[in-house]
Amino acid sequence: MKTNNKSMKFFKWGQKQQLQQRTGRKPIKWGNVATYAVLIIFAIIYAGPILMLINTSLKTMPEFMKSATSIVTKLNLENFVEAWQKANFPRYLTNTILYTVSATVVFIVTAVFLAFPISRGYVKGSKIILSLFLVALFLPPALIPQFQLMLRLGLYNNPFGYVLLFTINPIGITILVNYIKTIPVELDEAAALDGCGYFRFVTMILFPLIRPAIATVAVLHAIGIWNELILPTIYLTNQDYYPITRGMIVFQGVYGSNWPTLAAAVLIMIMPMLLIFLFLQRYIISGLTQGAVKG
Amino acid sequence: MNAYHFGGGKARWIPYLLLLPGILLYVLIALGPSIGTTFFSFTDATGIRGAETNWVWLDNYEEFLFMGQASLDNLSALGRTLIFSFFVTTIQFALGLFIAVMVNKKLKGTNFFRTLYFMPVILGAVIQGLIWSLFLYPLGGPMAKILEFIGLSSEFLGGQPSEAFGWVIFIQIWANMGTTMIIFLAGLQTIPQEIYEAAEIDGASGWQAFKNVTWPLLTPSVNTNLLLNIIGSLQAWQLFLVLLGYRNGTQVLGYLIYAVGFGQTSGSVTSSFRQGYAAAASIVLFLLVLLLGSVTQFFLNRREKRILG
Repeated sequence: MKTNNKSMKFFKWGQKQQLQQRTGRKPIKWGNVATYAVLIIFAIIYAGPILMLINTSLKTMPEFMKSATSIVTKLNLENFVEAWQKANFPRYLTNTILYTVSATVVFIVTAVFLAFPISRGYVKGSKIILSLFLVALFLPPALIPQFQLMLRLGLYNNPFGYVLLFTINPIGITILVNYIKTIPVELDEAAALDGCGYFRFVTMILFPLIRPAIATVAVLHAIGIWNELILPTIYLTNQDYYPITRGMIVFQGVYGSNWPTLAAAVLIMIMPMLLIFLFLQRYIISGLTQGAVKG
Repeated sequence: MNAYHFGGGKARWIPYLLLLPGILLYVLIALGPSIGTTFFSFTDATGIRGAETNWVWLDNYEEFLFMGQASLDNLSALGRTLIFSFFVTTIQFALGLFIAVMVNKKLKGTNFFRTLYFMPVILGAVIQGLIWSLFLYPLGGPMAKILEFIGLSSEFLGGQPSEAFGWVIFIQIWANMGTTMIIFLAGLQTIPQEIYEAAEIDGASGWQAFKNVTWPLLTPSVNTNLLLNIIGSLQAWQLFLVLLGYRNGTQVLGYLIYAVGFGQTSGSVTSSFRQGYAAAASIVLFLLVLLLGSVTQFFLNRREKRILG
C-alpha cells in the first residue's frame, strides 16, 4: 500500500514536470497580480493606523516628539505600565467586564426562551412578536424617553440600571430564531415522549445544540457593550462606575498630547476583544451575514 | 405552527411564562421609549429630576424649524446629515462591493484580508477615533508625511470645518466598509460557479460577466446593503463626538439631538437638557430616515421585479 502510494505520487510529479517542459514556465496571471495589488493597498490603509499605534506605544515621549513616524529600535514597555497605573485602568476594566458579562448572560438566557417558542410557533402570535422586534430598528431613537424612564425609576447613575439597558438585541433574536429552525422538530417530539419537560428540554437539549449561534450572538452583543460610549456618558456620572470607553475619553482629555502613553492605553483596551474576535472570527462573520441577509 | 408536545393544561403556559421576561425587557427599554419619543416631542420636558413637564404641542417643532439663528443652524445640520449620508452610502457601497469581489476570488490569503478589513467594526467608535487621531497627527504623523511628499499640507481634524468633516466621512467609511463587504460576500457565495463557467464558454469578458451575472444575482444583498447604509449613515454621529467634539460647522442631526438633550453643547445652541426639544429633533431625523428609506425601498422593489420577473 505504502509503495503504491509513493509510486503514484512519483507518477503525478512526472506528469507535472512534462507539463512544465511543454509550456516553458508557469504563466503569470496578470489578473491575480492586479487583485493582490489592490488587496495590499487596502491592507496598508487598514493596518497602517494600527501599526502606527503599536509603534507609538513603544516609544518614549522625546522620541515621539523628535520624529512621530520613526520605527522603534528597542522595546520600551514603560508606557503600558504608566497607562495601566495612571488611567485607573484596573477599575474601569473591571467595570466593563462586569457590565459586559452580566448583561450578555441575562440577554442570552431571555433570548433563548424568546427565540425557541417563536421559531417553533409554540406561542400564539409568534410572527407578530418577531416583527415587533424588527420594527424597533426603524422606529425613532429611544434615547430621550429611555432617560426619563430611568430617571423616574431611580436607575440613573446606577450600575444595575446601566446593565438593564443592554439586555435586548433584536438582531440577536433574529439570528437565534433562524438557527433554531435548522434543529428538527422531531427532536422536541421524541424528548417530550420520553417525559422531558419544556424547561429541561430548552436548557439541557436545545441549548447545547445551538451553541454556535449562541457564541455568535453573545460575542456580537458583548462587543457592542464593550465599545459603548454614549450610554455611559449619559447614565453614569460617578467615576467609580465608568466603563473603559468613558475612562479612555477622560484619559485622552488629560494625556491628549502624550501619544505614547495614550497609544499604550488604547492597545490595552482593545486587546481582549481583538483576541476573542480572532479566535471566533469564522463564527462571528458567518453569524453576522446570516442575520443580515435573512433577517 | 407546530403542535405542542410538552403537555397540556397548566403546563401549556410554561413557554408563555418563560418568554415573558424577554418581552417585558424589550418593551420597557426599547419599544416603549421609542414610541414615547413622539409624546415627549410635544412637551417641554427637561432632564432634571422632579421638574414639571407641560404640553407645548408643536412649539418644539416650530422652534426647531422656523425660529431665528438656531433653526438656521438646525437646518444646516440637517443638510450636512444628508451630505454625510450621501457620500458615506455611495462610497461605502461601491467600495464594499469591489472589495467583496476581490476577496471572493480563489486566491491564497483572501481570508487574512477579509479579517483585516472587517477588524475596525469590532473596535468601536472610541478606538477608531483615537487610532485615526494619531495617524492624522499634524506634526509629522504618517499622513502628514505622505501629504508632504506630494507637496501638500493639512491640519486634518483641526483644520477648516469642511476639511475636518471630509476626514470624518473618510474614517466612517474605513470603519464600516467591512460590514458591507461581508454582506456582499455572503451574496456572492450563493451564486453557483457553473453560471460563470457557462458565461466564459459564451465568450463573456470579466466585466460582462459581472454586469450580466453577478450584479443581477446579487440583488438581495444590494437591497440589504443600500438600506443599511442609508439608515446607518443618517443616524451615525459617534465618530464626530470622538474626533471633533461639538464643533460649529460640523454637527449632524444625531449629534445635535444628543447635545441638546444631554447638555453637551457649545456655541450657538445654549440651553442644555432640553429633552422635549431634542425629542422633536429625533422625530425630524426619524421622518427623514423613513422618507429616504421608503423611497429607496420603492425603487429597489421595482428594480427587483424588473430583474427577477
